[in-house]
Amino acid sequence: HVHVLRITVAATEVTGRDMEDVDVLEEDTEKEAGEEVVKDEEAGKRAAGELATQRKLLAIEELVLTERNYLRHLRLCSVTIRSNLQKVQPPLANLDTMFLHIQEVMDVSERLLTLLDRGQPSNPGFLSLLCDAFLSLRTDMEAAYREYLAGYGNVTALENSYKQKEAVWQEVVKVVKASAPEVNASSPTFFLVMPVQRIARYPLLLQTIQKHTDPRDPAYLALEDVARIAVDMNCKINEYKRFREVADKYKKTETLSIRDKINRLNGHSIAKKTARLGQFLKHETGIVPKVIDEEFDALAGFFCVLERGITDLHENVENFLGHLQAFLACRPEERDLDLGSDRGVVSYREITAALKQWIYPTFERRVRTLVHRPLCSLREMLAGPRNLIRKRLDKLLDYEALGEKSGLSYEEQAVAGAYRTINALLVAELPQFNGTALQLLWGILGAFSCLQRDLAADTEQLFASYTHELPHSLLEPSAFWEWASAAVCEEAKRLDAIFQNVQEELNAPIVQPLSPSSQRRLQVLMERHSPEKIYQLTRHVVGSRELDLTLQRGELVALVSEMDTRGDRRRWLVDAGGPRGYVPSSKLVRYRQVTKEVPPSPHFTTAVGREAIRRHSYSPESHPFVTMAMPCFQVFAGYDFTARSHHEVTLRSGEPVKVLEPHDKRGNRDWSLVEVRGRRGYVPSNYLAVLPSVVAPPTAPFC
Amino acid sequence: MKKSTEADTAMSKAAVKISADLLSNPLCEQDQAFLDSMTALDTAMRRMDSFNQEKVNQIQKTVIDPLKKYSSVFPSLNMAVKRREQTLQDYKRLQSKVEKYEEKEKTGPNMVKLHQAREELRPVKDDFEAKNKQLLEEMPKFYNSRIDYFQPSFEALIRAQVVYFTEMHKIFSELTEQIDQANLTDEQRERENEAKLNELRALSIVADD
Repeated sequence: HVHVLRITVAATEVTGRDMEDVDVLEEDTEKEAGEEVVKDEEAGKRAAGELATQRKLLAIEELVLTERNYLRHLRLCSVTIRSNLQKVQPPLANLDTMFLHIQEVMDVSERLLTLLDRGQPSNPGFLSLLCDAFLSLRTDMEAAYREYLAGYGNVTALENSYKQKEAVWQEVVKVVKASAPEVNASSPTFFLVMPVQRIARYPLLLQTIQKHTDPRDPAYLALEDVARIAVDMNCKINEYKRFREVADKYKKTETLSIRDKINRLNGHSIAKKTARLGQFLKHETGIVPKVIDEEFDALAGFFCVLERGITDLHENVENFLGHLQAFLACRPEERDLDLGSDRGVVSYREITAALKQWIYPTFERRVRTLVHRPLCSLREMLAGPRNLIRKRLDKLLDYEALGEKSGLSYEEQAVAGAYRTINALLVAELPQFNGTALQLLWGILGAFSCLQRDLAADTEQLFASYTHELPHSLLEPSAFWEWASAAVCEEAKRLDAIFQNVQEELNAPIVQPLSPSSQRRLQVLMERHSPEKIYQLTRHVVGSRELDLTLQRGELVALVSEMDTRGDRRRWLVDAGGPRGYVPSSKLVRYRQVTKEVPPSPHFTTAVGREAIRRHSYSPESHPFVTMAMPCFQVFAGYDFTARSHHEVTLRSGEPVKVLEPHDKRGNRDWSLVEVRGRRGYVPSNYLAVLPSVVAPPTAPFC
Repeated sequence: MKKSTEADTAMSKAAVKISADLLSNPLCEQDQAFLDSMTALDTAMRRMDSFNQEKVNQIQKTVIDPLKKYSSVFPSLNMAVKRREQTLQDYKRLQSKVEKYEEKEKTGPNMVKLHQAREELRPVKDDFEAKNKQLLEEMPKFYNSRIDYFQPSFEALIRAQVVYFTEMHKIFSELTEQIDQANLTDEQRERENEAKLNELRALSIVADD
């Protein structure tokens, strides 16, 4: 028992150490005695706590360390690279605009580091220190980064202008590489993009720290706050950037475009167009009311069409928003596969987190405010005119029913009056309704397009800050995808290879020595069937239907047919060495006959047997193979055997026997001549067992 | 992951529907300006959709398929672990049988049974040890392979999105130039919308019934 337990405990330890987070592997290795499990749980909890503390410390240290590196790089860029670039001949145009706002950003970073350097990350109070530092610098940080990001577009534009001239660009690259040889930079923007990256990373760094902090920690609430503030900051900075872009564009001259044409829409032009539309509708629908009022019909027709457009748009936008929400609800990036800190993985997580936390939510918010809500209101307002138009039609029918009477009664006059009022009202106000509604619709669509563009711009900027980090990002698209699919294939093959090994090993069947009855069965079956048709039962089967067999586990059978008469492939027809019938195919496994380890060979038996006999009969005959120091072995009957003729002798399992000859008269080693209980006869050789002799010498009680 | 891409595709298709329905509305027929801009919107949406489709396809190949493959290994591994467990049970059972016989009186039949039990035990023990060793070797290998395995997937995921959003930016910038009113801030837009809505509300035909 002890021996077995030790193996499994060792296995648990090894697996526990190597595979902390993978649940699927843990379940099978912890099935030992109850107290083991409890001990493991407590140890596990402690370990998890320690792990979290460790990870928290790592996260904090990463924040501080990366901040330091970041500042160092910025300094390198703004001092060394800048001065070297200034020396380039011919002098680079507008060089100063590249470095316009970098100083403020560096100042903030410096101040942050000074505050952080007042404590040690391993110090328990450091977390509060960190939070306070962020909170105190928050406004300045936002201001500095805001300006920097708003101006970053100019920086990239400027760099592109340098790229236009080959010679100039070569110089620039040379300067960059010479000034920062230990960094793999190939352009000024490698450094200049860092603030863009950094501000987006604060929320994620803070959240990682938060993830590993115990909620009971005194600094936890402050940490939560700061993380949220960091996200907010990013939203505001992006908004500001957009605001600035708009302000800048205003200064450009406008060209006559579609939007100008829209601005020229007014009631009059709409009325003209609706008249045309009215004609079109009449042709289409064939409705010709008795009192034909063309102007009205035109207006009403336009309204209908407008209504339909608005309704469709409203529904489609709702649909769109619904899918957007579903999209945001899936958070595959949060599944922690414990994949460590590979650049690709970390970048992916950070990017997706950023997208989900503020870029997409901002987009959604704006779509709702600028597209969905106005559409809702507009759609509601359609009800009024629609009802009135219907009422007018009803009144019209009443009016027509009055006919061309002269001298109408009071009620009849009221009816006529009602119709005329409604008609007049609609004719007066519908044009304006149509026109304004159309303009509104227009604005909404324009806004939608603009929002999509902003979404793309924000995301593009986010990605730009990561392209430097990914090893393959500089490859051309086609080259990249080639590499990607090749890499995927390779990995797949490797996985297969690992997996194959496991499969092969684990499917190798156990080779058990066969009992004599099984051996005989095997012989019988082999006479009638070929070796690859021999199968072994892996479990007991009890026959339930007609022609089903009841067999024991381990019995050998030969396969006759892989399905029954009805074509069911789960019932196989087998030959059980006599009876034939069906067994479930799931309980059968191919029996591989292996010539395996040496069973007690007759030779050996003979030698020992003779020796055993020798001990009694001091025969001077010495046999050549009995030169070794003889271990004490004894031959016993392994199984019961009933003599079927007078040449054979009955055996009872466990009896000691003396082997006289290990073969029969014809030299067949399957049979041995033995003496037992004073009688002699032949028994099957494989019914004999050689065992260490702990029993007293052959004067056993059985004799 | 799969749900994410499905929602993404659905979003894109919804956007296309927006423009398609508008384009088919007769409003377009009577105003050239409207028609032009609706066509522009529609083209933009369709192009975006095709880019989205491309992106999804690439993700399918380089991320989702490898993911599926990797997770298909788990059931088999589980099976293997279970079989080892079974073997362990057999081993324990036979072991206890052997020990039982060892403790009994050393009589002839008992000796024989003991011997037989030992013989039965041996292959099972070997098998268990082999399985155990295999698993101990292979499982860590498998677990460690995951980093390298997924590395290209992550990069591909990012790259596909980069391409998509770059195109999206270009397309929608052009479109906005064409159909959007003079660049306004969000507050300005909201105010304009409110103004128009109020104009409409002022009409008596829109009054609440």
